[in-house]
Amino acid sequence: MSIPLLRVENLGIHFGSGENLVKAVDGISFSMAAGETLAVVGESGSGKSVTALALTRLLATPSARYASGQIEFKGRDTLRLPESELRALRGKQIAYIFQEPASSLNPVFTIGYQIQEAIELHRPEVSNVEAEIIRALHTVGIREPEKRLGDYPHQLSGGMQQRVMIAMALACQPDLLVADEPTTALDVTIQKQIMDLLKELKQKSNMAILLITHNFGLVADFADHVLVMFRGRIVESGRTADVLRNPQHAYTKALIECVPRLGQKQHRLKVIDYAGIE
Amino acid sequence: MPESNSQPLLRVENLQVYFPILGGVFRRKIGEVKAVDDVSFTVNRGQTVGLVGESGSGKTTIGRAIIRLTDPTAGTIYYGDTPISKLRPSAFRPYRKKIQIIFQDPYNSLNPRLSIFEIIGEALEIHFPKMTREERRERVAELLDKVGLKKDHLDRYPHEFSGGQRQRIGIARALAVDPEFIVCDEPVSALDVSVQAQIVNLLQDLQEELGLTYLFIAHDLAVVEHISDFVLVMNAGKIVEAATAEAIYENPQHDYTRRLLSAVPKL
Amino acid sequence: MNPASANHQTYAQRLWRHFRADKFAHYGLGIVIALFIIAALAPFLANSHAIVRVADGRITFPVLLSLEPIEWRFLIYVLLAALIYFFRRKLQTHPRRFLLLTCFFVALVELWLGFSHPINDPSNDRERPSSFKLMPPVAYSPIETTPDQFSPPMWKHPCGTDSTGRDIAARMLHGARISLSIGFVSQSIALLVGITLGGLAGYYRGWLDIGVSRFVEIIECFPSLLLILVVINFTGSQNNMFCIMAVIGLTSWTGVARLVRGEFLRLSGQPFTLAAQAIGASDFRVILRHLLPNALGPILVVATFGVASAILIESSLSFLGFGMQAPTPSWGDILSESRRYIDFAWWLAFFPGLAMLVTIMSYNFVGEGLRDAVDPRLRIK
Repeated sequence: MSIPLLRVENLGIHFGSGENLVKAVDGISFSMAAGETLAVVGESGSGKSVTALALTRLLATPSARYASGQIEFKGRDTLRLPESELRALRGKQIAYIFQEPASSLNPVFTIGYQIQEAIELHRPEVSNVEAEIIRALHTVGIREPEKRLGDYPHQLSGGMQQRVMIAMALACQPDLLVADEPTTALDVTIQKQIMDLLKELKQKSNMAILLITHNFGLVADFADHVLVMFRGRIVESGRTADVLRNPQHAYTKALIECVPRLGQKQHRLKVIDYAGIE
Repeated sequence: MPESNSQPLLRVENLQVYFPILGGVFRRKIGEVKAVDDVSFTVNRGQTVGLVGESGSGKTTIGRAIIRLTDPTAGTIYYGDTPISKLRPSAFRPYRKKIQIIFQDPYNSLNPRLSIFEIIGEALEIHFPKMTREERRERVAELLDKVGLKKDHLDRYPHEFSGGQRQRIGIARALAVDPEFIVCDEPVSALDVSVQAQIVNLLQDLQEELGLTYLFIAHDLAVVEHISDFVLVMNAGKIVEAATAEAIYENPQHDYTRRLLSAVPKL
Repeated sequence: MNPASANHQTYAQRLWRHFRADKFAHYGLGIVIALFIIAALAPFLANSHAIVRVADGRITFPVLLSLEPIEWRFLIYVLLAALIYFFRRKLQTHPRRFLLLTCFFVALVELWLGFSHPINDPSNDRERPSSFKLMPPVAYSPIETTPDQFSPPMWKHPCGTDSTGRDIAARMLHGARISLSIGFVSQSIALLVGITLGGLAGYYRGWLDIGVSRFVEIIECFPSLLLILVVINFTGSQNNMFCIMAVIGLTSWTGVARLVRGEFLRLSGQPFTLAAQAIGASDFRVILRHLLPNALGPILVVATFGVASAILIESSLSFLGFGMQAPTPSWGDILSESRRYIDFAWWLAFFPGLAMLVTIMSYNFVGEGLRDAVDPRLRIK
């Protein structure tokens, strides 16, 4: 077995100090193989987004401290790489899409320009950039991409903006795509479209996808493996089908149970008893 | 329409809310956005009617129109027998005691500069001016207790609370005036799944205890099914389907409803 | 999840914490406060009368006797305000009793001031024989001429003297009063006008907003310093402190108005404003209780910079001869005089220049510290 694409070992990220010390991530370890899809499920405060940002040291260092552990991407520890090499990593090998597409896209530039920028930065060998842009937009399911090149972000709907973000991320052909709650801000039908798109990408390319979400429903038919995070720690991990069918940890069970199910009207929704977990 | 033995509390008839698009130097109307386009429905006393739709469907606008934060362009809203949408702002004021609203965003729906006591007590100050400060403090403490918060939180500030707790404060604020009808404008959409469950349970408990009537606006179908007796599905300003909660999920008639249902991620 | 009690602070307390972390702002504030105290206590710091004098078996307090009613009012009411602030918790429990007490006290003070007359004694106490006397640190009055003209800085005159022998140190200390009072009062006027107009425009929008915005733009078309010069010349109000305050105030409100309009536009769309309206709060209540306190942060920042700017304008006016003129001590006036004598009397330019530099810089540091403290850093998740 070749070395895994991503290997996180005993990662610890702290904020604040003394009385106000917050261990956002408290010693987690996991790994991802090339082409694998991994979902990280947790509520707010579980540390999932912090973990995602830490992969390429995107957290602002005066307030965040990488207290322990290492993040090995393709054999190299990103926590210890010099800044110049890290920048070559970001965007080119590890690409991100975030929750709010509207604020991740620069409002004063057209989407064509922004994708062009990404390509020129990370793939200078490409000669026909425009064709590449159109191809990327086509891959994410935007109709008539040639006409869309001159559009500004505010002219697009939320779903289309998210597709543009994915196109920007894909244009550089990364090895790992980190999607931090990409559909939380979208309507349910658009959410389905974006998830379908991600599933398509998973099948067609060898790109690994790390999906951060709080919605177990999205995980079910998308991710190969799932991690459940609670207060900075991983409480359960395994193959998605196994975890969903047979959750071991009390928190996982509670999390799965309190999602209200369609067509199964209950008298009262199940609530998580946090005291019973720690 | 559901057969129920309670009388209609809120009746919306042919409601239209159009927003003008202004352009040019003198900001003349060059078009309009039909946010709510000829909507009619009834909410009976003690019921929960769910209003489901995606962004841009007009569901939030209906909620705002009922509580007169937006004025309808046409149509009438009746509360009991009174056409409240046609009242002058000063004449509508007493209805603010009967109809209240809970907002979606727990982080911006509480004034960060006021303490919890001041936020909830403001409603008392306005509508019950004869109450002394001590009486108000007692009543606010009562309300906090009802929504599951502790009395010693009275003098704390919003930033000290989590999202779920802030929503509870928002609910307490709405309850302060003893309302009959509450418009719940996506009250759990911004919360974690487990906190959603807590708040939804709380709303149901309060409905039983105080005999409240809810218009529950949301885009999460599963939550709406759980809490509503009757569900209205909206798309682009119109109601495309109206049925009981069970009927909607077992036997959706309209194409859009079916699309919505199939899009919900299933475990 | 229980709220951390370490987090239990009001907005003001958190602002203060962030502010203090900024060293420049911290020291700047120290200087600002020091200047304020100097300005308040100027008669006790530079006076030709003694603070305490014992002669012929009697104790007299010449400085106190020479104070004008307005100086008395200033000292007494500021002290009263400070006392009220520090004991506000205790006073909140018996508001009516406290109000009565204050009114009574104020009545007494005014009565006494009405009957008292300051003794305008141009002679000085330096040479008067007495068994004991305590002179102020600078034993000269700002308007007292001496035969020691153009004296360089020395023990007797720490900052030298000017062409008529007036002690520069005394003039500097008393000049601080002029600068600061003009700065604060004019800025208060600007704030009042700006907040009112900007607030109405931002809250009510529509035609009111259009009208106010156009009005603001018209006012801004006038170059303010020239406008002030013209007005002062036209009304013949050189050397009239109140006129200068009013004119500076009425020409510098536009920045505040713009800011308040923007903040109100933003804040009135927030759910908590809608919630207050849904509860049934009147417009007045919404503006005063919900919008204004939340807009206060940026307003304070602009106000701080505004005071610095007003001080600068006043000095410029005095420098040009349109503001306060001799013998009234004003930093700008001293600078103006220095123009003629700079080649041999360097101290005439150095000290007022230094004072202005330090003052303006301190206010700017405070303003920047406030701006950083008020920033979205305080907007909590």
